[in-house]
Amino acid sequence: MGLTLLVLGAFGAIIILMAAYGYRISAKTAEDYMLGGRTIGVVVMFFFVLFAISSAWTFYGFPGLLYTQGPGYVMFIWGSVAGFAGLYMFLGPRLWALAKINRFLSPVEVLGERYQSKALRLILSLSILAFIVPYVGIQPLGVGAGFEALTGLPALWGAIYTVVILIVLVLLGGMRIVAWVNIFLGVVYMSALLGSLLWVISVLFPNGGLVEAADIVARTRPELLSDPGPAGTYTPIVLGGTFVVGILAFSWPHVAIGCMTARDKSLFKWFPLLIFVFGGLFFYILPFLWGSLVAPAAMPLGELEQLAAQNGVSLQTEADRVVQTVIKRTLPEWFGVFVLLGVIAAAVSTAAVQLMTSSVIVSRDVIQGLFKPNASDRQITGWARWSVVAIVLLSLIISFFNQGAMALYLTDVSVPGFAQWAPALVGGLLWKRGTKQGAIAGTVAGVVYLVLSLLIVIDGSRPLVIGHPVLPSLMVNTIVYIVVSKLTPRPGEEIEAQFFDEVEAYLKAETTSRGK
Amino acid sequence: MREMIRHRAGRIYLFVLVLSIIGYIVFLAMGGTTAAENGEPILVFGWMTMSLFSGVLFVGFWLVTYIIYFFLFWPYR
Repeated sequence: MGLTLLVLGAFGAIIILMAAYGYRISAKTAEDYMLGGRTIGVVVMFFFVLFAISSAWTFYGFPGLLYTQGPGYVMFIWGSVAGFAGLYMFLGPRLWALAKINRFLSPVEVLGERYQSKALRLILSLSILAFIVPYVGIQPLGVGAGFEALTGLPALWGAIYTVVILIVLVLLGGMRIVAWVNIFLGVVYMSALLGSLLWVISVLFPNGGLVEAADIVARTRPELLSDPGPAGTYTPIVLGGTFVVGILAFSWPHVAIGCMTARDKSLFKWFPLLIFVFGGLFFYILPFLWGSLVAPAAMPLGELEQLAAQNGVSLQTEADRVVQTVIKRTLPEWFGVFVLLGVIAAAVSTAAVQLMTSSVIVSRDVIQGLFKPNASDRQITGWARWSVVAIVLLSLIISFFNQGAMALYLTDVSVPGFAQWAPALVGGLLWKRGTKQGAIAGTVAGVVYLVLSLLIVIDGSRPLVIGHPVLPSLMVNTIVYIVVSKLTPRPGEEIEAQFFDEVEAYLKAETTSRGK
Repeated sequence: MREMIRHRAGRIYLFVLVLSIIGYIVFLAMGGTTAAENGEPILVFGWMTMSLFSGVLFVGFWLVTYIIYFFLFWPYR
C-alpha cells in the first residue's frame, strides 16, 4: 500500500511539474494557451490525438463489452480509424488554414463566422458542451474504480487524485503542455497495456499464446469468436450501424480542435499514416485481444458472474474491469500499480483535451463571442482557466448520478451528441451554398430528435431510435440543413471569398513556396 | 476535400474510399463475420476472428490508397 501511494504521488508530481514548466515557458497569450501557439508538429500531434481519444474506455469499457457481447463492437474501432484519418485528410487542411489566416481560436468560432450567426455559435457551443461535459467526468470515476480495486481505498480518493492532476495540468499548462504530457501519458499507458498483455499471455498460455487462448474460448464460449455474439446483439444491421457511428469520430470536437493547433500543412499529409499504422493496425488491437481472447480464456464467465454477485454489481460493470481482475490475479502486485498508472494516464490524457476544448468554447465562444467581444487575451485565458474548475465539478456531479456501462455511454450518448454539429461543420467548410438558417435549423432538429429519442421509452424500447441513436438524428439534421439552405438566400460573396477562395489560395501558395 | 474533387486522381481516390465503406458494410450485412455453416467460428492463423481480420484488411486498404494518393497526387503535397 505504501509503495502504491508513493508511486502514485511521484506520477502526479511529474505531471504537475510538466504543467508548471509549461506555464513558465508559455507566451501568456490566448492563442498560446488555447492552441499551443499553433506550433504542434506531427509526432506530438499524433500522441496528442491518439491518447485524447484512447481514454480509460479502452481499458475498461471496450474490452468489457467484447467479453460479454463478442467481437462485433470492434466495428466502432474500424470506423473510428477511418473517421479520424478522414478528418485530417478531408477537413483538416481547410480548418487549419481558416483558423490560421483569421486567427480563430475555436472550431465553433470558425462556424459562427462562416455562417455569420451568433445564435448558431451559442447553439453549437451549448450542444457540444452538453455532450462533452458528462464524458469528462466518466474518466475520474473510471480511475476511482481501478484505484479501489488495487488499493482498497474508497473510489472517491482515486477520482479526487485524478481531478487534482487534471485541473492543475489544464489550468497551468494549456493546450501545448496537454499535448506534450500526452506523449508521456501515452507511453505509460501503451507500456502498461502491451506489457500486461504479453506478460499474461506468457504466464497463462505458454504453449500456444493467442492460439491457445483462442482454443480455450472456442471450447468454452465459442459464440464469443463470431458475430452476432453470445446474446445475438450484433446483427448485420447493428454491425453496420456501429461501423458508421465509428466513422462519425471525425466530428468529435476535442479531435477537430487538434487540426487548429498544427504547425504547418505537411502535418495533414503525414498524420493519417500514423493513425493507420500505429493506431489501427497496432494500438487498438491490444484492447481487442484483451477483451475478446485473453480475458475470456483467463476468466470463465461463471467466475465473473460470481464476482459480480459478491461485489453487488451487474455483470457488465464487473466485465468492465475484467482486464484489471486478470492482471491482479496473474501478475505481481507491483505491476498492478504500473497498470493503474497506465489507466490514470489514459483517463487524464483524454479528459485534459476534452477539458481544454470545453474551456475554449466557454471562454471564446460563449463569454467573449456573446457578451464581451472586446475582451483582452488576459481576460479570455482567465475565463478559460476558471471554467476548467467549473466544468470538472459539473461533469463529476453529472457522471456520479448517471453511472452506467462506459462503452455504451460513449457510443450511445456522446458520439450521437458530438455528431450533431457535423453537417454544419462539413457544409460550412466544403459547401458554399450552406446557410446560417440551414445550419441552425439542422442542428436544432438533430439535437431535439436525439434527446427525444433517448428520453422516450415505451415498453422498454425507444421507438424513435432506428438502428442507433445517431442514425435517425443525424439524418434529420442533414436533410433539414440541406433543404433549409437551399430555400434561403445563399451566403454573400465576401463569405465565399473569405472561407473558400482565400483558403484555397493560401493552401496553394504554401505548397508553391515550400516547393521552391 | 474540394481540391480532391478538382482532379481525376482525387475523384478516383474518393470513389474508392466510398466504395470500400459500402463494400465493408455489405460484407457485414452478408454475414462475413458470422460463424461458418457448421457453426464453427472462422479463425485466421488460429486466433484472428473475422471481425479482427476483416477490419485489418479494411484499414490496410485505406493505408495503401492513402499512401498512393497523398504522396503522389495530392495537390497540396
